[in-house]
Amino acid sequence: MARPKIDRDVVLHVAKLASLSLSDGEVDRFAAELGRIVAHVEQLDALDTRDAVATAHVQLECAPWREDEVRPGLSHEDALSQAPRVEGDGFAVPMFVE
Amino acid sequence: MLEDLGVTQIAEKVRTGELTAEKVTEESLARIAALDGELHAFLHVARGDALDQAREVDRRRSRGDGLGVLAGVPVAIKDAICTRSAPTTAGSKILAKYVPPYDATVIERLRGAGAIIVGKTNMDEFAMGSSTENSAFGPTKNPWDLSRTPGGSSGGSAAAVAARMTPCALGSDTGGSIRQPASLTGTVGVKPTYGRVSRFGLIAFASSLDQIGPFATDVRGAARLLSVISGHDARDSTSLVVPSVDFEAACGRSVRGLRIGVPDEYFGEGLDAEVGRSVRAAIGELEAEGCKVTPVKLPHTNFALATYYVLATAEASSNLARFDGVRYGLRVDPASPPGVAGAPASVRSGVSDLRGMYGATRDAGFGAEVKRRILLGTFVLSAGYYDAYYLKAQKVRTLVRQDFERAFAQVDVICSPTSPTTAFRLGEKVDEPLSMYLNDVYTLPASLAGIPAMSLPCAPSAAGLPVGLHIMARPFEEATMLAVAAAWETHSPASALRPTPISR
Repeated sequence: MARPKIDRDVVLHVAKLASLSLSDGEVDRFAAELGRIVAHVEQLDALDTRDAVATAHVQLECAPWREDEVRPGLSHEDALSQAPRVEGDGFAVPMFVE
Repeated sequence: MLEDLGVTQIAEKVRTGELTAEKVTEESLARIAALDGELHAFLHVARGDALDQAREVDRRRSRGDGLGVLAGVPVAIKDAICTRSAPTTAGSKILAKYVPPYDATVIERLRGAGAIIVGKTNMDEFAMGSSTENSAFGPTKNPWDLSRTPGGSSGGSAAAVAARMTPCALGSDTGGSIRQPASLTGTVGVKPTYGRVSRFGLIAFASSLDQIGPFATDVRGAARLLSVISGHDARDSTSLVVPSVDFEAACGRSVRGLRIGVPDEYFGEGLDAEVGRSVRAAIGELEAEGCKVTPVKLPHTNFALATYYVLATAEASSNLARFDGVRYGLRVDPASPPGVAGAPASVRSGVSDLRGMYGATRDAGFGAEVKRRILLGTFVLSAGYYDAYYLKAQKVRTLVRQDFERAFAQVDVICSPTSPTTAFRLGEKVDEPLSMYLNDVYTLPASLAGIPAMSLPCAPSAAGLPVGLHIMARPFEEATMLAVAAAWETHSPASALRPTPISR
């Protein structure tokens, strides 16, 4: 298939998907670096994988399901102990509805 | 004492009363105090807690209570593994002030066995790197040559053990992050079979590849640690139910008649000639011990790097989405945009600035390599590219696994170099990501296949730098791998060597 060129627009699009605010300098630098890495990755095109199944995970056949039962977790206090902002008894986030 | 004693000897001397846990811990803390200014292996030293744990071991002994198999043994912990009440930063500014409210499963098991946790070790940020230079808190130096890197990402753990600040440590290995630093620092490092050791409490990088494992000064020490930390854990859904094994007992097994495979693909272009000779000499020694050495083919080896960088970054981009400035870690509110100076950011254009907070937090909190990998991972998962990159890489991962299945039909273990070169200089590869990634060409395939693999020292280079022998085995066959390692260790000229720059 036709391969994309990694340019500023691609980096800005991907950065938005990844919630990263990049400086102008970073956008240029990552466009060049990612371009070289993606070019290296394209060597995989040489392999015929029509008959290969995808491996997402290994050895899962030995990993059992756990019982669906209630277990103790972190206390409310512990769960909030590392939050940068707490309001009342919850995590504080910027307002996002009027 | 720590210059010469390994895990099993220390535990034995504490058990018999020849040494107290407190004395051992004092010496470990004293070595850290004396050496770490130069090495920077540690991000946090838990002096008070360590001494408390040691005195508790000594009290147990004086009461006649049973002691665990690691009683009184100082251990250093990679800073990606959560420790209740001790900072856990993963080498990142975004977690600079994070103190986990819980212990990882491996920490619970170490404490249960009487181990003394003396501190948290430096690492590449979120385990992304091969030199520890991507740590937000500055690099670690190699005890064998202070101008060189100890490798990474578990470079702090490797340096701590190499400098005998602790006889053992925990690291994590996603593509070679235990084995490559073990190779570069002349220590023993084991990546277990995927699923052998619980990942609960390990800050995730690439969940289908990450595995916690031990470093130690000798094979038996690593085997004992592995026995303690392995086993099923219901809190990790990828933790396997497999029979437990006494890995230490395996270290005494005869290797006569075992079949060793040697893959041509691991001895080709890019391999330093001295490293190749040292590794071949070790394999020759094992042949003299009665092992049968045969060539094997792993034809997809050269595709592992590209495959790994697609899969690992894709998983990382998803795992690191959790760092959003809300539940833990750093939070940065964006500066007010022009025109609404003074107004709260959240009222900009009448809508939210939640996304602005995410972006500002992540931009300030993540270093360049982490951003690079998040961007690559997001790209290969994005609409239009998923099939061409991510799905393709998952299929090539299958081909890599099949290479090993075919090879292990003919041989019991596969031996190769761990890393193509000895330790490189600090700063040498930081500006060229691809050349840094090439450090891991020999360790990545075993990670993709989920098989156990380890590194241990063979004859050093002429310059006196450590060289690592890499041993890979079938899934769940750590015991066979450790038997071969222990057999080589008795012959290895490296066993008696100590890093000169720090043993003055």
